[in-house]
Amino acid sequence: MDEQTRSGDDSPVIPREITRAGDHDIRILWKSGHESLYPARYLRLKCPCAVCVDEWTGREILRPQAVTEDVAPSSLELVGRYGLRVRWTDGHSDGIYTFKLLRELCPCCQES
Amino acid sequence: MSETDKLKIDIVDALKSIQDPDLGRDIVSLGFVKDVKFCGGVAAVTIELTTPACPVKDQMREEARQAILALDGVDEANVEMTARVRSSSSDNQSLLPGVKNVIPVASGKGGVGKSTVSANLAVALAQSGAQVGLMDADVYGPSIPTLMGLSEKPVSGPNQQMIPVTQYDVKIISMGFFLPEEKAVIWRGPMLDKMITQFLGGVQWGELDYLIIDLPPGTGDIQLSLCQKVPLTGAVIVSTPQDVALNVAQKAIAMFNQLNTPVLGIVENMSHYRCSHCGQRDEIFGTGGARKVSESRGLPFLGEIPLSTNIRVHSDQGKPVVLADPESEQAKAFLQVAENTAAQISIRAMAGELEQDIKVSF
Repeated sequence: MDEQTRSGDDSPVIPREITRAGDHDIRILWKSGHESLYPARYLRLKCPCAVCVDEWTGREILRPQAVTEDVAPSSLELVGRYGLRVRWTDGHSDGIYTFKLLRELCPCCQES
Repeated sequence: MSETDKLKIDIVDALKSIQDPDLGRDIVSLGFVKDVKFCGGVAAVTIELTTPACPVKDQMREEARQAILALDGVDEANVEMTARVRSSSSDNQSLLPGVKNVIPVASGKGGVGKSTVSANLAVALAQSGAQVGLMDADVYGPSIPTLMGLSEKPVSGPNQQMIPVTQYDVKIISMGFFLPEEKAVIWRGPMLDKMITQFLGGVQWGELDYLIIDLPPGTGDIQLSLCQKVPLTGAVIVSTPQDVALNVAQKAIAMFNQLNTPVLGIVENMSHYRCSHCGQRDEIFGTGGARKVSESRGLPFLGEIPLSTNIRVHSDQGKPVVLADPESEQAKAFLQVAENTAAQISIRAMAGELEQDIKVSF
């Protein structure tokens, strides 16, 4: 974890640029200069909405088998100052990915 | 280089000595100095501030005048002060295309005077020359129509948009316009969300420097919807000095923090009571509590408003005290809150211009 995701740091994590990467992946360039690349299906599986994740226990409800390999974002919109809503080609669009969550989900920062 | 050109450069150099106290930089590097002219010993400059409600406008004008007059060859200096309110976000999205700053007025607890503060804040900003809108988002207890002395209803304009009612140079929309007084709003979340969308995008706000939003108490559907629909400039938190109100106010602050919405500062309402007979100051709810909280949370303190019959009477008569009795202690207190709020907005907006917004291209 770098300083951006370390807990206890109050300064909000803010993207500078959100763009398409490749055919259907999402790229975020953060204010800090860090760049994150999210494969579409990986992000779809991490949808934080109450249908995909149990609100109280955090247990994942969404079964990976239920998500097709070719799922892709069809559009993106900012939610206020704190998050991103993704409309997926499978019709799902309930999840609000907060910037904080997106930063934590950055594939290159995941510990193996 | 001609003498005149050289003097113009000297004038700009001289103005570098003048600092904007809120932004902490000199007015030249901030790009506030426009239209430098010099002819026959007479210098004229325009200083463009970031808000017409600048508390130190006159002082700055005088400092600029003196700085220019101190130059050799200048006999007379004319300094004009103008303002261009900056937008806190380059992308106020499709819902509010012409609105530069959206400022919710919130509290945790009810009954602390959000609506009174909102109304006076809106009128004070409009009086300074800014273009101001006031949205009453308190569907449960809409009090803006009463406070602003309104009984007329908004009419619908072209393309299905409502045209807000204008009173005291403020464009106003309220749920109170659409409900008979004895009827209540008993709605579930999705309806509230719809109302917020309607009040934002379905109203012809036009060009506004500031849109003040009077929120209902709490941290519920309306607050959340608002934080999701538009990028807010920053919230003004109203509290009384008591612990019981301040503790709940901190929950409102926590909500805005969680949603990355800046908090512009805290207003202490009902700060003290001055006896109209003997003039004695009585601190009914205690005093200074909000200042302490703002200090401990690192937030600006926007000012204290006294508890006063004068405010109540003018509010009930539908003319906010800043208009009805502008020389009163209470009006001056509100004015100070308005100026401090405008200053905080300028600070955010200037920082935003430097930091730049989130670019989404997809």
